Amino acid sequence: MKGRVFITALCVMILLPDCRNSSRKTENLVLADADSLVSVSAAGSDADEEILRNFSSPLETANLFQVMGVPFTQAYLATSLNASALSGSFNQALSLGILGADLGYLNIYGKTSTSLELVSSIKKLAEGLRVGQFFDFETIKRLSLNSSNLDSLLYLSIDSYNKIDRYLREDNRGYLSSLMIAGAWIEAQYFATQIIKQYPNGLLRDRIGEQKFFLEGLIKSVQPYCEMNDQFRALCGYLADISEKYRDVRISYTDGGTPVKTVKDGGLEITQTETSRVEMTDEQLAGIIDMTGIVRNKLIANN
Amino acid sequence: MKKLLLGLLILLPAFTVAAGQAAPDPMMSRCLSSTGPAAKYLKDYRIQLGQGTSHNDFRYKAKMSLWKNTKYRFTLCTADNSKGKLILTIWDDTNKIVLSSVDNDTGTVYSYIDFICNKSGIYQVGFDFTEGQSGSGVSIVSMIQ
Repeated sequence: MKGRVFITALCVMILLPDCRNSSRKTENLVLADADSLVSVSAAGSDADEEILRNFSSPLETANLFQVMGVPFTQAYLATSLNASALSGSFNQALSLGILGADLGYLNIYGKTSTSLELVSSIKKLAEGLRVGQFFDFETIKRLSLNSSNLDSLLYLSIDSYNKIDRYLREDNRGYLSSLMIAGAWIEAQYFATQIIKQYPNGLLRDRIGEQKFFLEGLIKSVQPYCEMNDQFRALCGYLADISEKYRDVRISYTDGGTPVKTVKDGGLEITQTETSRVEMTDEQLAGIIDMTGIVRNKLIANN
Repeated sequence: MKKLLLGLLILLPAFTVAAGQAAPDPMMSRCLSSTGPAAKYLKDYRIQLGQGTSHNDFRYKAKMSLWKNTKYRFTLCTADNSKGKLILTIWDDTNKIVLSSVDNDTGTVYSYIDFICNKSGIYQVGFDFTEGQSGSGVSIVSMIQ
């Protein structure tokens, strides 16, 4: 009798999915009878928020560095952050965002095997915030060592961050997910502003100017928590300082007519003829560079 | 009984390891492998829709930011048991269509679209299945260097 009970319990343990990660179940695509499926829409009040909660943005910035031919530089990374020594959810969440941007930079440059230490720090921070179950350390480690599978690695890294973000919001800890986004944005902005000092480039200059929109959204996201404590108050002040440097940056649009379409290799290529243009003086850019560096280094030093 | 118990104990670690890993699911893996060697993953959309009543409206809509001077690839993967084929349309902030995966003149449905973006901004992406049919699919947004 005891043996049967034990075997039944063992079978339940084996067959039960990973209960800790409830969101994973909803993420997986269930290919049920299509007729039984319901219509889904992501459009709605949360849609604007979804744009901001896009952990692939640092990758796009890092990709631009590659397009420009900028070599990889270890010096831009937040190597001084010690995940084991960090205490408090504010520092952990902010650092999780900062290291996420660092990971994106390393991955885009194919430095996947050297990113293992960073991945380990990210895992520690995620566990500190009780969201470690969403960071699939073993698979990411395996893919990092196998550099031929970059796309799967990028997918898993971004997916892990998206799951953490979603879980924190559902768990009424949205302030922590806003901190992650702030950390990731500041770090990616830091890379961009450091690189343009060494490698002046029109494309990167435009990308830095266009961050005005993203920063406005970020400030709105953090705004509800500004009076929560001194740390948040300081962060809101820092973002306002950067925003002030963007005040007179202008973005204009020109209508270019019908897009150019080309069919090739079974796919379609479309070139947009409308353009956006950033109007930003050298002084404004210099102010943004300086303020971003000051803010980022204060945040790293505080941690 | 003892043999069965022993067998289960041997199998346990293997099942535990499998359950703890969150590697891309088969549909996602298949779609990731079809984006091409020059593509770098950015984002994905998972679409599941039942039979629709209208053929003209896109039932899954979301907003995303696209950056100037970037070449994006939108890869569309339809699950085998789908009745329709996954299709995509993108509108800009003025509600003007900037791209569609369907050529209305020829009826061709493209499985991927490369979009050379020259205007940074917020765009609306709309997904559905051809003729408003039911289906499941994945769309992956990648950067092309």
